[in-house]
Amino acid sequence: MDPVFAWIESTAFSIWMREDLSMFAFPGVLAVHTVGLALVVGFNIVLDLRLLGVGRDVPLIELRRFLPVMWLGFALNAASGVALLVAYPTKALTDPVFYVKLAFIAAAVWILVIIRRSVLEPWSPRRRTSRQLAMLAGASLVCWAGAITAGRLLAYTFRRLTVDF
Amino acid sequence: MAPLQVWLVSVLQRDTFISAFMQTTWGWPAMESLHFIGLALLLGPIAAFDLRLLGVAPAIPIAALHRLVPFGIAGFVLSVITGAMFLMTEPDQYIYNPSFHLKMVFLAVAGGNAFLFYLLPGRHLRSDATVRTPRIAKVIAFVSLTLWLSIMVSGRLITFYRPGLCEPEGPGFIADCIPRR
Repeated sequence: MDPVFAWIESTAFSIWMREDLSMFAFPGVLAVHTVGLALVVGFNIVLDLRLLGVGRDVPLIELRRFLPVMWLGFALNAASGVALLVAYPTKALTDPVFYVKLAFIAAAVWILVIIRRSVLEPWSPRRRTSRQLAMLAGASLVCWAGAITAGRLLAYTFRRLTVDF
Repeated sequence: MAPLQVWLVSVLQRDTFISAFMQTTWGWPAMESLHFIGLALLLGPIAAFDLRLLGVAPAIPIAALHRLVPFGIAGFVLSVITGAMFLMTEPDQYIYNPSFHLKMVFLAVAGGNAFLFYLLPGRHLRSDATVRTPRIAKVIAFVSLTLWLSIMVSGRLITFYRPGLCEPEGPGFIADCIPRR
């Protein structure tokens, strides 16, 4: 994979992300990634807490009104995540923890889609027991906490920073 | 401010079991992870509540959504505790850091803003679901949302404003560099 890493790291965008001292380059993208994290995981926590029995007077289906904000956060993080990956492809892709992070995110989004189909769409009446939903909510919380932890650990677990460093 | 900052650093810079734990291999990264989990736990309920006040999801009773706020406060407490652990381990990296200064100002204003909410329209908003959200509550909600996201941005940027040693002529009114002894 080294030639691929080397090519990505030689692109103008990758070099700009790594070397430009402007706060809009690497630091700004990282800040956007944090805002997106807060929106995505924050909304999922609200949904999960409701499924676990907190705020029972909140009509479950109405929580779908917050979904666009959640997906906005997700889009911010997909875009900023790709930018960070382009900046340091070797660092991320040679670190097993990065794949653990992606797996946690994939599992968490899968759970969200199951929950949405069960309770957040008017045309799909609840097909799961509240016990099943509570278990999905618990799994969702574990996956998001895992994704955050794995993401944070990336700064400590990498073996190679760039192809030739 | 600068003498106060020097004093603060000297008070915080003590070898305790906390700084010893933070200097272990996984102490600092583990607490960082908890700091970010706390941030998400804080933002979720608070942002949902603010968005509701701003008119998103009008069919949700405000009082019902407010039941989630204690969990947001729990997230805040988690982030404050882990944040204090960073501060007690590397005080000069925060006390002289302009991004940290900004974060603390935002935090103080966010605290005052939340206090204002419970002082003014909060009481009856939480008990009566049918009442129309007053304009002042919407302003407070917008300010809250903006501030909490700004706190996260300025927090994430702390690492890019690490202070260096001050010039020989010393720090200015607010030290954003490490004063020489």
